[in-house]
Amino acid sequence: MLDNLNKKSLKYIGKAERRIDAVEKVTGQALYAGDLEFAGMLHGKVLRSPHARARIKKIDVSKARRLEGVHAVLTGQDLDYRVGLYLVDKYILAKDTIRHYGEAVAAVAAETPVIAQKALDLIEIEYEVQTPFLDPKQVFDKKAPLVHPDLGKYDYVEAVFTPVPGTNIANHTKLRKGDVDKAFKDADLVIEREYTNPNVQHVPMETHIAIGKWDMGDKITVYTSAQSPFTVRNLFAHAFKIPHASIRVIIPYVGGGFGGKAGIHLEPLCCCLSKVAGGRPVKIQATREEEFSLLPCRSGLIYNIKTGVKKNGKIVAQKMTMYWDAGAYADYAVNVTRASGFSASGPYEIENAWVDAYTVYTNKPFGTAYRGFGHVEFSWGVERHMNYVAKALNMDPLKFRMINALKAGSKSMTGEEIVENTGNVSKCMQAVAESINYGKLTAAEKAREKKTGRKIGKSVVALHKAPAMPPFTGTVMILKLNEDGTVTASHSLTDYGMGTYTSLAQIIAEVLRWPIERIRIPIETDTDRDPYDWQTVASKGLLLSGNAAILAARDLLDKCYDVAAQALRAQKCDLDHDESGVFVRHHTAHRVTYQQMAVGYAYPNGNAICGPIVGVGRYIAQGLTNLNKENGQGNPALDWTYGAHGLTVEVDEKTGEYHLIKVASAYDVGCVINAASVRGQAIGGMIQGLGTAMCEGYIYNDKGQLLNPSFTDNKIPTSLDIPEEIDCIAIETPQIDGPFGARGVGEHSMIAVCGALGNAIEEAVNADLTHMPIRQEDVWRAMQKKAEKPARKARALKSPGKSSAKEKAAKAPAKAAKSPEKAKAKVKAAKAPAKAKKTEKAEKAPAKRGRPRK
Amino acid sequence: MLQEFSYLAPTTLKDLYATLKKNAGKAVILAGGTDLLVELHNNWIAPKLLVDIKKIPQLNGISFDRKTGLSIGATTVCFDLINNKDVQKHYPLLADAAGRIGSRQLRNRATIGGNLCTASPCADMGCSLLALGAQVELASVDGVRVIDLKDYFTGPKRTQIKKHEILQRIIVPAEMAGARYGMRKLKRIKGHDLALISVAVARTEKVMRAGIGSCAPTPVVTADLAANSSAEELKNAAYKVVSPIDDVRASRDYRLFMTGEYIDSIHAEMFRGGRSK
Amino acid sequence: MKITLKVNGRKYTREVVENKNLLHFIREDLGLTGTKEGCGAGECGACTVIMNGRPVNSCLILAVEADGADLQTIEGEAKNGKLSKLQHAFHENYAVQCGFCTPGMIMSAKVLLDSNKKPTVEEIKEAIEGNFCRCTGYQQIIEAIQDATGQLKKKEGLKRA
Repeated sequence: MLDNLNKKSLKYIGKAERRIDAVEKVTGQALYAGDLEFAGMLHGKVLRSPHARARIKKIDVSKARRLEGVHAVLTGQDLDYRVGLYLVDKYILAKDTIRHYGEAVAAVAAETPVIAQKALDLIEIEYEVQTPFLDPKQVFDKKAPLVHPDLGKYDYVEAVFTPVPGTNIANHTKLRKGDVDKAFKDADLVIEREYTNPNVQHVPMETHIAIGKWDMGDKITVYTSAQSPFTVRNLFAHAFKIPHASIRVIIPYVGGGFGGKAGIHLEPLCCCLSKVAGGRPVKIQATREEEFSLLPCRSGLIYNIKTGVKKNGKIVAQKMTMYWDAGAYADYAVNVTRASGFSASGPYEIENAWVDAYTVYTNKPFGTAYRGFGHVEFSWGVERHMNYVAKALNMDPLKFRMINALKAGSKSMTGEEIVENTGNVSKCMQAVAESINYGKLTAAEKAREKKTGRKIGKSVVALHKAPAMPPFTGTVMILKLNEDGTVTASHSLTDYGMGTYTSLAQIIAEVLRWPIERIRIPIETDTDRDPYDWQTVASKGLLLSGNAAILAARDLLDKCYDVAAQALRAQKCDLDHDESGVFVRHHTAHRVTYQQMAVGYAYPNGNAICGPIVGVGRYIAQGLTNLNKENGQGNPALDWTYGAHGLTVEVDEKTGEYHLIKVASAYDVGCVINAASVRGQAIGGMIQGLGTAMCEGYIYNDKGQLLNPSFTDNKIPTSLDIPEEIDCIAIETPQIDGPFGARGVGEHSMIAVCGALGNAIEEAVNADLTHMPIRQEDVWRAMQKKAEKPARKARALKSPGKSSAKEKAAKAPAKAAKSPEKAKAKVKAAKAPAKAKKTEKAEKAPAKRGRPRK
Repeated sequence: MLQEFSYLAPTTLKDLYATLKKNAGKAVILAGGTDLLVELHNNWIAPKLLVDIKKIPQLNGISFDRKTGLSIGATTVCFDLINNKDVQKHYPLLADAAGRIGSRQLRNRATIGGNLCTASPCADMGCSLLALGAQVELASVDGVRVIDLKDYFTGPKRTQIKKHEILQRIIVPAEMAGARYGMRKLKRIKGHDLALISVAVARTEKVMRAGIGSCAPTPVVTADLAANSSAEELKNAAYKVVSPIDDVRASRDYRLFMTGEYIDSIHAEMFRGGRSK
Repeated sequence: MKITLKVNGRKYTREVVENKNLLHFIREDLGLTGTKEGCGAGECGACTVIMNGRPVNSCLILAVEADGADLQTIEGEAKNGKLSKLQHAFHENYAVQCGFCTPGMIMSAKVLLDSNKKPTVEEIKEAIEGNFCRCTGYQQIIEAIQDATGQLKKKEGLKRA
């Protein structure tokens, strides 16, 4: 930790200080981008493609342009600019190729939303509809249509990513550690299975919204609901070849982001419309339906895991193949692939590891950053697989995890050595296991089972994540001392709900020894006024900005001490400070107040020294490296946050209906800065994770059209869906380079709860699920099937992905909603019910009619 | 919304009938707005005229008479139905069903008449009113006609209402007052959701019926069964009238299975003397 | 069309187009931007206001339908520069993260507490069921409402192990 202070002497760190930005939120006074209005503001609307893959044969906007009240109409032909965070593959408006359902084809700016809609209705487009590429596992099929035939011509970050031109592989991340083939041969058991999950949307309560203004001389101003002002500025500058200093990005209050607002989305379009409209500001606010199709989502994943174990439970080898269904554009997905690639095993030691992670282009809404950055998706597979392997070994799943958990002395998959201070995943697992009374049913639980007739199951799972960020990620904090002895902070980390600003205020208060009320951290960030921060993602904010805050506070104090040393004619080593000023340690009455120093110190005769006081703190990640492209080795991780969940579920054996009785979560956060904030993140992320587990997921037809683009059929958890009991536990193994020993936890709460649910349900009723969401119907279907014995599976699965014809037929209806191909099957099933249903009918006939009542 | 339309709010039935006759085919009725405004939001309809019927007092309110039964005005909102003393005492199935519609906010606006006029296959009031043998009163300049609810639905979102007609009130027969009942609604989450299926059973000393939603192009009802019919008989009667499909919400098989499950559990409750969950 | 209505105790008379919903009317015509749009289709509850004493989704009501109505929005909750008990409880109990759902959530909670002085946890969950929150996971909101009614005996905290 940067400050090695005795925990007991800490005044602010560890407490549940009230949020510094809550009053304006509970009164409705906080202004979000949608609340802002500007003189002459126009309303922008986007025309979206109804097709997943098509060629634009003809587009005629003449009638739209002529409509009174319309100030700008743009199509892809007007905008020869591509954007892309890591791989520059996306035109602002589709040029002549449609790559996903909902893709923006044209945009208008008009005086009212009604006129804008009328203008859109006047645009005439002729499409040549083409067959979409929808199944990422078909990526090696040479006949598959190419989503990006020009992949070889795109700029990309060569140091980190490996696109494969001539294919639908936007990136291939490889990891090779040890010798998997030999290790598999030495293993006592080899177990392989595949796990899948669909696209999911972030569903921030505030949809994407941006207001752009393009003034003469290419001066650009953007107000946007976004997470990273400097990324918006940077990508804009690159795309339009405009100096950074000419672009100003302002972020007001943000109504949730979860990664969906981490990059650049509506901003370029708003600004381009403004340019055509003579510099009038243009606002585009996504409707909720546009949020589900025009704006990006989270990539789907097909994850194949092959594990070699010894009879004693030690994993000796693991081969992991990930097919990321990344949609039409690379955006963040290539980095999700990379970050998941090096983390793919979960918090377990794998001596011999082999990872092939593919970012696969498909004709679907594209995947962007999403809380967890790939970890929620692959953790589902890992944690289900851990239980599957444990079953094969006839070993308790928690014991199996404990045997393999990373600990001091372990080596991660990238070759990083885990030390004491990295964190303690075993302790996390122990804490949650205790909380849910894992391994037995309590008297109350037994009585409950008896009373309800339902079965109770429990599970413990573990997780880890390091920030997925460039090795040179840095940040700056500036503290400006005000005349009245308060301080105003300036920085560009954003707070879209996490509460990091409050934690930073606590850190500053602790160093300055001031009451927190004297520290102001304005929510709005402005690239013209505030100094650089990379992005507010990756759970790195508290660590990097916390350190920068400590350094800024120390710098501020240092300058105050300079003034005091002169004014008090003292040596700096004899000075100390408290909440009112700087004083001589052995003559405390000899002091200079902050008010006296703030804007320059004046002697009684008027002589002035030192000038206005500003503290600056910069911090950059230390010692990180890129990963070797051939073997994935290196040091990518700023820090690792470990965690665990314990979950108790009750399942109806007849219908598959289930209730969450308890979820316990534990995270090794290094040092709790704000207890309520950690708890808020823990619960919020857990519920969001349960959303993925229970009810969320995009459903497509075989044409790649989204069938559930609204809340009607894309459900998220409500207050009635939360567990009966929630327990949050913090472990504090200090992060040596973290502020007061803290590390981040923003994403971690979402990561493993899905696996926890799947495992607990299997434990309760023997329903074996490998796909999410886990709907009631899916549990029912899985119960009909009865969980397969892994050992049989292991022998049968010599070649990955092939199951026996019988298993295939039995599985066909169950997989109906799973992957796009299976979505096809599901739609097919509706048209030809006889085929898919036959086997299932035969299996399930006893359940329907004439079955004796229990 | 992005469509432009006129708005009228007649205050008498006579004005309403005349307006509907004059604008037949061009006007849509605005009651609670919880379906209509969603359709406008999604740009699924572009009506020229909205006729707000909430200012007509005769269309609102609930009355009960031991001889004629329950009369529910078309613009009665779910919240008022749920809290009506007569409904709670004599037709608690309806309070149960209305309580399962949407969220609290939606129940403060959604009307019983509107639910039936939207006539979605998953209409939450459909299966319960069918189980109670309800009728609907349709009116226009041509007069008033009463038809059985089971004949009223003609297809998904299609009813017998003529272009110039209005659904005025819902009549629930006196002989169903005090009926034992059970209701279940299958959802994807515990929060508000449409019905993947819904089953409502009503039973008096003389008759038993099950109304089922989301298992056919319209809400459907079994034939009248003897009051002491077994669960098996009730299920068989149900299977005769349902024809569920696979869709993004649920599969046909699960819908069939859960129809049977719900009937079993409601039947067990009713004959044990318990109330619906 | 001309409409007259009361909002937070103040009378307003305005000309309004037929095709504007109450949510947009409140935000644009009256400048009360506290009430938010989350979906425009009556699902998320971000637009919840209290109309004639009942919580409703203002996105599903036309402004013209509110002629003669008595509305309360989040702007009417604090009085004389002081947070209400409910707002204070939200603040104290960390029931606010991004804040976008908060105005609607407080409106729903307020109606509950107006008629039920000591709601159970189940009753609270049911009252706010039509208000989505993506950030908090609801637990701290429920605790805030319990606290506002003096029912939060022990403040749930983060445990340390």
